[in-house]
Amino acid sequence: MTALLRYQTALLIRSQRWLAPVLLYAAFLGIGVQSGQPVLDSLGYAAAGLLPVTAWLVQLCVNQEPPAARTVTAAVAGSPRVHLASLLAALGCAGLLGTAATLIVLLISKPASADNAVRVPLLPAGLAGLLAAVCCVLLGAAVGALCTRPLLHRRGWSVATTVLAALLALVTSGSPANHAVTGLVTGSRTGTVHVPLLPLVAAAALAAAVAALACKLTSMRG
Amino acid sequence: MGRRYGLGGPWVLRGIDLDLPAHTLIRIEGANGTGKSTLLRLLAGIDAPTEGRITGRRPRTAYVPERFPAALPFTAAGYLVHLGRVHGLRTCEAADRAQAWLARFGAAGHALTPLPELSKGTSQKVAVAQALLAEPELLVLDEAWTGLDAAARDELDRAVAERVAAGSTVVFVDHDPRRLTGAVDAAFRVEGHGLAAVPVARAAGAGPQVRIEAAGPPGAALPAALPGTPERTPAADGAVRLTVAATHSDALLRALLAARPPWHIRHLTTTSGAAPEPEAAPHTKASPAPGARSTSEAP
Repeated sequence: MTALLRYQTALLIRSQRWLAPVLLYAAFLGIGVQSGQPVLDSLGYAAAGLLPVTAWLVQLCVNQEPPAARTVTAAVAGSPRVHLASLLAALGCAGLLGTAATLIVLLISKPASADNAVRVPLLPAGLAGLLAAVCCVLLGAAVGALCTRPLLHRRGWSVATTVLAALLALVTSGSPANHAVTGLVTGSRTGTVHVPLLPLVAAAALAAAVAALACKLTSMRG
Repeated sequence: MGRRYGLGGPWVLRGIDLDLPAHTLIRIEGANGTGKSTLLRLLAGIDAPTEGRITGRRPRTAYVPERFPAALPFTAAGYLVHLGRVHGLRTCEAADRAQAWLARFGAAGHALTPLPELSKGTSQKVAVAQALLAEPELLVLDEAWTGLDAAARDELDRAVAERVAAGSTVVFVDHDPRRLTGAVDAAFRVEGHGLAAVPVARAAGAGPQVRIEAAGPPGAALPAALPGTPERTPAADGAVRLTVAATHSDALLRALLAARPPWHIRHLTTTSGAAPEPEAAPHTKASPAPGARSTSEAP
């Protein structure tokens, strides 16, 4: 599995396809996060942006191998493991991106509530922001994995459903990502830090279920 | 087992029952679009059967697709090292074997060329090298010879014979009906949605043969399970004459020379088809005659 993960990560990094989603995310942060803004607001904003970016990265990784090369690796390691390795490579890349974004937000933001009345301790805020980012990354990965090979083969449908599903995952109340992000943003008003443990568990379970389904289907639907 | 694409799609294969024993070379034939490639993908474990199942432990498998125009952001050697690691080799081991196999197929000069810049034939050599470098237990070749030059095709024939001699199962599809004739242990034709066994011409005269006259130490028996299961006839002075498909000759010579105690090779002739054509000089001690190519081991 380590070798497969290394192979998929090398493919992603060398192909430079990661540039587009990473630049998009950087632009998104550049627009919405400025120094001196309340830290919890900015953390929520940064986490929310990770969801569609992760979905995009997952779809890049899942489709980065040409079909001939995919059959070769699938014969060696089995289609499900190859698919899992590509999902994990995307997850790792998105996780790195999320950690970097959280750190930058923590460094440049104002450690106070939105009305400047309450001081927000940076360490718990950072933890909450990181966990919210992980929630969004996991949910984004689930969305990305659901809306591509082996479940959806048509590229047009894949893009359309990804955009729709990512949006729904962010705005539907009850979605773990929505819960985590709202927790941060509403907490910013009063200066309280909500650590999103429950959403994290839910997002992890959802992502694991989707990954299991997608990996199982690869050897049946290609 | 059976396989169809899509939930309600037509069956491509149905009621397939195939046994893949060790030490066998299996040929699959059939017209275009009958499901040969589908069958090979099932055997290689790339796809799962829609009905039925594949029993037994999953062997270490390698697969060579018909076309390998891989637009991957690696050099040929870099890709092979990655694949070698996926096969379970250590990095340095994978790098050594990648070099050795590229050299064997005459592509050593392209080791550092990015894959997208390789010609069709050279990328096919990379595809073949990735399959052979891990010494798989099950080797599946889907028209792997297509696009290779004559020397590389012969080299692949010999590499296949070596794998079979080493105990692997090799399954292949090729449109050249003479491909590996005399070395094939079983052949099947995809007909309708099923498989029909095809009689295999194993008799002398089917394809080029090599006749090896070897003498052992007094009283010594021939090593058991010789590569290519040669036909044995006694010769003068207690020697034995072994006739084997040309693709197996290198492996057979190696087995004879490496036996303990070693056998002495007295005479070696190659025959194309039924008529024998003596080519090599007699009494070549411990080194194959010029007519027979000695298989280069990994340097």
